[in-house]
Amino acid sequence: MHESILVYRNHRYLKWALVLAAVSVGIYLIDRPLGAPNGGTWLGYTLGCIAGGLMIWLAWFGIRKRRYGVGKVSLEDWLSAHIYLGTALALIATLHSGFQVGLNIHSILYVLMMVTIISGMVGLYFYVRYPLLLTENRKGLSTEVMLGQIAELDRDVRQIAMTMDDATNAAALKSTQDTIVGGTVFQQLRGFDEHCPTTMARHFVESSTSGDHGPQRRQLLTRLIRKEDLLKRIRRDVQLRCLLRVWLYVHVPFSVATLAALVTHVVTVFYYW
Amino acid sequence: MRSLIRYVTRKSRGGTAVRDEVAEGEKITVGRGNDCAIHLPDPRVMLHHAEFTLRSGELYVAAATGADLRVDESLTQVAKVDVGGKVRVGPYEIQPQEKTAEFDVILAVELIQALGDDLEKLVARSKIHITRMGLTMRQWTWLLASAVLLGTFIVPFVFNLLIGPPPDKLALTPGKQNYLAAPTGVWNSGTISAAHKFFGDSCGSCHEKPFVQVKDQACLSCHNGIQNHAQPALFPFADLSGASCQSCHKEHQGNATIVLSNERFCADCHNDMAAKTTRSTLGSASDFGEHHPEFHPTVVKDPALHAMDRSRAVGATPGPQENSGLKFPHDKHLRATGVKDPARGVVTLQCADCHTPNETGETMQAISFERNCHGCHALKFDTFVTDRELTHGKPEEVFKQVRDVYDALAMRGGYTEPEAPAVLRRMPGTSLTPVEKQQVTDWAATKTAAVLNGRFGRGLCEECHRTFDTNGTDASGSKIWTVEPPTVTTLWMPKAYFTHARHTDVPCTECHAAKTSNASTDVLMPSITVCQSCHGGEKAADRVPSTCVDCHRFHRKDLGPMRSEKAADAGAALRQIHASAQSRAEQP
Repeated sequence: MHESILVYRNHRYLKWALVLAAVSVGIYLIDRPLGAPNGGTWLGYTLGCIAGGLMIWLAWFGIRKRRYGVGKVSLEDWLSAHIYLGTALALIATLHSGFQVGLNIHSILYVLMMVTIISGMVGLYFYVRYPLLLTENRKGLSTEVMLGQIAELDRDVRQIAMTMDDATNAAALKSTQDTIVGGTVFQQLRGFDEHCPTTMARHFVESSTSGDHGPQRRQLLTRLIRKEDLLKRIRRDVQLRCLLRVWLYVHVPFSVATLAALVTHVVTVFYYW
Repeated sequence: MRSLIRYVTRKSRGGTAVRDEVAEGEKITVGRGNDCAIHLPDPRVMLHHAEFTLRSGELYVAAATGADLRVDESLTQVAKVDVGGKVRVGPYEIQPQEKTAEFDVILAVELIQALGDDLEKLVARSKIHITRMGLTMRQWTWLLASAVLLGTFIVPFVFNLLIGPPPDKLALTPGKQNYLAAPTGVWNSGTISAAHKFFGDSCGSCHEKPFVQVKDQACLSCHNGIQNHAQPALFPFADLSGASCQSCHKEHQGNATIVLSNERFCADCHNDMAAKTTRSTLGSASDFGEHHPEFHPTVVKDPALHAMDRSRAVGATPGPQENSGLKFPHDKHLRATGVKDPARGVVTLQCADCHTPNETGETMQAISFERNCHGCHALKFDTFVTDRELTHGKPEEVFKQVRDVYDALAMRGGYTEPEAPAVLRRMPGTSLTPVEKQQVTDWAATKTAAVLNGRFGRGLCEECHRTFDTNGTDASGSKIWTVEPPTVTTLWMPKAYFTHARHTDVPCTECHAAKTSNASTDVLMPSITVCQSCHGGEKAADRVPSTCVDCHRFHRKDLGPMRSEKAADAGAALRQIHASAQSRAEQP
C-alpha cells in the first residue's frame, strides 16, 4: 500500500527533526552568553555548523534523487528526511542568528534560505494534495488519451459542420483549429480560457435561430459540449501538473543561491574574524 | 457548356491519381455544398464559394459574397483566367487547361493544403508542460547564484583587494577610500559600537590579518594602559591573562557601548567571595536588588594620621562613626524654626545653603569656613574690639595676633571696657609715663592670655574643633594650645560610582537623615535599602534595572595596566584620528 512521505517509517524523520529542534531550543534557552545571543558564541558557532551542514546535505538531495538505485538508503528515506530536517533548519538557523537582522550577507543568506524552505513547504503541500485531484479529474484517462478524444471530436465537428451554413461552419472550424490547451505558464496555471473558440462555437450553435439542419445542429452541439467537458478536465489536469512543477522554479534556484550565500557568509565571517 | 473537372491527388510515393467528372450547365459552381459542380469537401471552403463562366470564349471566375478567392496569388472578386492560371479556393488550387473538341472547359482541381492530423496540430499548438519560465530552471539557478556570489562576495572582495591593506592603521582618509570600502559593508555582521564608528568602515583597523581573530594589540593601540581588575599578585585568578579583550567586549552588536553589563559576568566570581579567596574583605554580591552587602562607608578613623576605616556597615551596631575632628550637629542647623543670622535675622537653612555640587555634579564641594560658616560664626573675641576677628585656619598665628591687638590698644588708650584699668580708658593719644607704660604692657599680656584661654578664644574654637595644649609657651609664659586639623571624608564609597547630578529631583533628606543627626560622628550615608527602593537588579521589573557596572568599574583606575605588552604609540593613533577628522571637516 502507498505510504505517504509524511508518515514514512512511522514518522521516523519527524522524530529526528523534533529531537534536533527541541535540543537546539533547549540549549538556546539555557545558554546565557555574555551580551546578546549571536552567531559568534560557542552555541552560535555550533548551531551554525549544524545549519551549514544541513544546507549542504539538503541540497545534495537534488543530486541524490537523480541517481536511481544508488546507495543503501532509499529515496523515500531521503525525501522524508529532506522534508523534516529542512523544516528544522528554519528553526536552527534562526537560533544561530540570535534573532539579529541587518542589511548584510548574513541576513541575505537567511532570507534566501527561508524562501527555499517555504517554497519547499508549498511544494510539499502541492504533492500531498494534487496527485489525488489529478487522478479524480482524469477519470482513468491519460492526458494523451484526452487529447486524442478531442482530435476525434474535431474531425466529427468538421464533418458535421461541412454541410451546414457558412457561419456555423466557420465557428466550428475555428473551434477545431484555434482551441488550445495550456500555453504560457500563466495560462496553464489559470486552468481555463475565457476566449475558448470551442465555448464560443457552442454558444453560437445554441443561439442560432436558423431552423435548417436540425439533426446536424444537435449532433454538432452534442460534440461541442463533449469537447468542452474534455477541455475543462484537461486544462485542470495541466493546471495541477503545472502547480506540481512550478514551485521548483523557486525552490531549486533559491537553494543553489542559498549555497552561494552560505559560502560568502562563512568565508567573510572568518576573513574578518 | 460542357466541362471536365479533373480531381488530381498526389500520391505519397510520387505520381498522381486523377478522377474525372463531367459537368454541364452555364456556370461551373465551386463550393463545399453537394450541389456544386466542383465539390470541395473541406471546412475551409464556403458552401458556395465561387463560379466559373464562359464569356465569348474567355473563362471568368467570380467570388461569392465574403468568399476568399485568389487568382494568380491576388485577392479578387471577378477575374479572367487563362490556361495555366492558378485559382485558389481555400486549400484548393484550380487550374484551367487547354480545351479539347469534346469539352469547352477543363479544370484541374488539387488539394494543395491538406487539413492535416488534428491530434498532431492540437498537441503542436498546446503547451502543456513547463520547460521554462522566461528562462529555464537551470538558467534561473545560474543567474540567481551568480548574482549572489557576484554582489556579496566577488565585487566586495575585488574592491577590498583594490584598496589593499590600508596605508595606515586607521585608514580614515576621506573621500575615495571610504567610498571604495563601501561594498564590503555587506559583510558587516552588525552595527559598530558608537565609540568605534568613526573608523568603522576601515575594517583593517581591528581585523589586522585575514582569518585571524582580532588581537588585543588592536585594542591596545588606543586603549593602552587599560587597568587591571584586581591586584594580580593577590588575586591571580582575576588577572584574566588568558582572555582577550574581545571575549568580553563584543563588537558589531549595535549602536551602543561594548561594555558588558551582564550581572552574571561579575557574579561568576563575586557571588561567593569566601569560596573564591580568603584575601579579600569584600562581601558577596550577585544582584543589586537581591544579593548585595550593606554599604560599608570608608570614614576617617584618625584625622591626625589620616587613617580610614571601612569595617562597619550602615545601620549596624555600632555603625560607622566619622572621627573628623569637627563638631557639627546637623539637626540644630536645620531646625524648622530657623537659626539666627546676624545679617538676615531668623532663617531656615536648607542643605543647599552649605552644600554645593562640584562642577561635574557628582560630589559636593568641600565645606569652607569663610563661605559656609562665617556669616553666623564670626570669630570676634572682644565686644569692645568689633573690627577684629581671629584668623581661621591658622591657630599658630592667633596668639601673636591677639597680643598685637591688645598691645596696640594699650599704647593708644580709649579701651572702654569698664573693668579695664583707668589708664586703658584714657583719651586716645594721651602720653604715658614710664610706669603707666609698664602697667599697660602687663595688662596687654594678661588680657591676651585671658581672652585666648577664655570663652572667646579657645572656647570659640572648641565650638567646632578639638584643641590641645602644645609644649610651647608664649611671650607671657602661658601655654600655647592649638586646634586639631580636621579631616572630612570626601568620598564614602571610593570603589563605587555615584552622581548626585542624576538624582537632583530627589530631596536630599530622602536619602540623608540630616535633620535628626545631632553629632558630626554620624555618617549620613544612606542604607542600601534606600537605593533599593528605586533600583533593582538587572532583571528588576518594578524598579530601575541596575547592573554592577552602573556603579562599579571593572578596570580599576587605582591599579596598573592589565596587559603588559606595549602597544604601538597610542598617541600617534589618536593624533591621526584627530587629523583625519579635521581634514574631513575641511572638505568642501
